[in-house]
Amino acid sequence: MPTRRSFLASLAATVPLAVFVRRAHAAAVVHLQGDPATLDALALTVLPSRLGRPGIAREAASFRDWAANYKESAELVHGYGTSRLRSTGPTPLTRWTTQLDQLDADAQRLHQHRFRELSAANREQVVRDALKGERLDRMPTVVDANHVAVALLAHFYESPGAADLCYEAQIGRQTCRPLAAQSSKPRPILKVLER
Amino acid sequence: MNRRAIETDVCIVGSGISAAMIAERLARTTSAKILVIEAGDDTVPLAQRPAARERFLRYNENPWGVDHLEGYEVVGPLQSRSMQVGGLAMHWGAVTPRFSPEDFKQHSLYGVGTDWPITYEELDPFYQEAEELMGVAGAQGPDDLDPRGKPFPLPAIPLTYNLELLKKWASSAGIVMWSQPAAKNSIPYRGRPTCCRNDTCSPICPIGAKYSPDFTWNALRKTNRIALTTRMLVRKLVLSPDGKSVSHAIAVNRDRPDEPVELHAKQFVVAAGYTWSSHLLLLSAQDKAPNGVANSSGLVGKYLAGHRNVQTTVELPLKLYPGMNEQHSLVTKQFMRLKSGSEYIRHDLRIWESSSGRTARLIDDAGALMLGDAILDDWRRRTRTGTARVRAYYDVIPDRSSELTLDATRKNAYGDPLPKLAFRDAPESESMRGRTEESIRGLFADMARAGNGRLLRAPTVDNFQDHPSGGCRMGNDASSSVVDSWGRTHDHANLFVVGAPTCVSGSCANATLTFCALALRSARELEKALPRSTTTRSGTVE
Ligand SMILES: Cc1cc2nc3c(=O)[nH]c(=O)nc-3n(C[C@H](O)[C@H](O)[C@H](O)COP(=O)(O)OP(=O)(O)OC[C@H]3O[C@@H](n4cnc5c(N)ncnc54)[C@H](O)[C@@H]3O)c2cc1C
Ligand code: SF4
Repeated sequence: MPTRRSFLASLAATVPLAVFVRRAHAAAVVHLQGDPATLDALALTVLPSRLGRPGIAREAASFRDWAANYKESAELVHGYGTSRLRSTGPTPLTRWTTQLDQLDADAQRLHQHRFRELSAANREQVVRDALKGERLDRMPTVVDANHVAVALLAHFYESPGAADLCYEAQIGRQTCRPLAAQSSKPRPILKVLER
Repeated sequence: MNRRAIETDVCIVGSGISAAMIAERLARTTSAKILVIEAGDDTVPLAQRPAARERFLRYNENPWGVDHLEGYEVVGPLQSRSMQVGGLAMHWGAVTPRFSPEDFKQHSLYGVGTDWPITYEELDPFYQEAEELMGVAGAQGPDDLDPRGKPFPLPAIPLTYNLELLKKWASSAGIVMWSQPAAKNSIPYRGRPTCCRNDTCSPICPIGAKYSPDFTWNALRKTNRIALTTRMLVRKLVLSPDGKSVSHAIAVNRDRPDEPVELHAKQFVVAAGYTWSSHLLLLSAQDKAPNGVANSSGLVGKYLAGHRNVQTTVELPLKLYPGMNEQHSLVTKQFMRLKSGSEYIRHDLRIWESSSGRTARLIDDAGALMLGDAILDDWRRRTRTGTARVRAYYDVIPDRSSELTLDATRKNAYGDPLPKLAFRDAPESESMRGRTEESIRGLFADMARAGNGRLLRAPTVDNFQDHPSGGCRMGNDASSSVVDSWGRTHDHANLFVVGAPTCVSGSCANATLTFCALALRSARELEKALPRSTTTRSGTVE
């Protein structure tokens, strides 16, 4: 069976660019869904432990779903005060899957194990090294995140669940909630979330 | 070439919110045949909006499908590219303050700008009618600042826990604030549910709690009270041989561009918004109207109006919970009324909960990368106190040269020149600009001090003139205005321009409710020339 990289290389040699990009996205989705362990290990490394292991696994799955359903060249919400239309850019997933492969390669090189097999401290070090040279001065939006580790963080931290965890309150941002309840202080979150 | 002709009593160009108001009223009060022509496509059905919203939230995708015409990139600040059934009000935030009484008599009260040919009191019943049609939820402000003939149709959107705290803060700075009126259901209204504060009103409400014009169109179409034709662009209004009225309009069916359509009607209503209304009149230049239809004054496209804003974020020693209802705000009209003898500085003021300056970050104060629990711990520390967004729209008096012209260098698919937009302040506004913005900055600083807070960042000024209007301003004098106070063009007895384009000035508050009230007032005049309805239907059609 060809590796993902050799498969992509053979694709690039034979098909027009737009088709190649579409197929490359599809191949990256298959790759990520087929072997999610590196991403799951990355999520364990960068997301807060207070989510608990099941919570972290859910976040990683939600990120995978985000990435799989990304559409290129989709019209973005219209700008205000301008007639210029904007569309979504090329899929970031091909880059992110390459970076996941790279985390594995770095782990092999430094510790002779795959990334998912490393201790928490070693995993963290591999991620820190990978993020050297990245722009980290602000939390980007998911799609603007260059590195998959930052994308994973951005995906979690822009979620309503993250805000609830931060404020330790059931705010439920951008979810359907009774209007009348907004006059009261949000109720505390159930501690069960914080395992 | 095949030419198709369609006959009707009233032909309405555009299907935005102003068109919806006028069609709804004419459908209710007359038995006239009403044809509505919309250049864009039908809008996304309500059932598909939750999914469209989801993709907007995840990917920032436009939730409204293909709601633009190809090739309409124009020079200048177009408010939005959206063109579809419902117009821009499919995207709107549904914030619906009224203008204040002073807006209609700026010149006689303060010696600046131009008085409108109508007063606030004359517009009050039409404001009420528009509020009832849309379902505006609002709190009565102090009577003298916020006069109204009848109560709001719906109880106010309750203040959030956050806004209650921010209201106390504003009060400590001597500012009386209340719940911003909005066309969002605080209770079920006309078959639409109560707002569930999921906070994406602009650009999309997934449940129909926010009013948008498609609800009116759906109801009118269901009862066969109107015909709405989509994907048809009106290109020209053709005058009768004596030039005193419009004989017909020429339109193009975007799916069959080789078969022009002639639209014959007794009354024509141009309800195409602040850009496309003037644009159509200018495009319609012909022998009897060499500078464009309704343009004997030379003022079609002139006096484009709006308001600029100054805004900032204030850090306050308050524990706030951003995300409770970020699109709802406090408002005051306190600064829309001048103290006698003071300079002409008028603005509104709004306060929102905010997460600005309080989002999670990746590096700590020392510049070190945080991972795992460190990010959450840092975020928790930084959210012990909150921030508020503060914004003031300020009055800009429009100059005659604040204008829409035809751009000979850019054409649409049918060879018609596109519009070009340029907003300019009248000299009195130009000279006051610096002091106005300084005064607002000073107010923000005073407010921050009163709450023992600080400005998180220096206030910024947005150069875009918001809620644009004008281009066919109303007036009693045919040499200094395009339409009369009812929206009837001075030049052509059966041609009305309604809503935004007819405004004399842009006030310093969101303006769409005013456009709607003006459109309903135009309908009141139009119906005099149309057969009365034989069936009495009370209330609005929804
Ligand atoms: C993101 C956003 C948020 C907003 N929020 C608010 C808010 O909270 N409060 C507020 O007061 N305002 C708000 N506004 C502004 C508000 O939406 C507009 O003022 C209002 O919808 C304008 O309505 P209209 O009927 O004047 O014109 P439009 O909505 O522009 O409707 C005109 C229609 O005519 C059609 N048309 C144009 N030319 C032709 C032609 N030649 N032939 C056939 N059809 C034609 C167009 O396709 C369009 O559908 C917002 C706007 C945007 C974009
Ligand atoms: S807050 Fe949500 S439910 Fe309410 S009007 Fe806005 S989008 Fe609709």
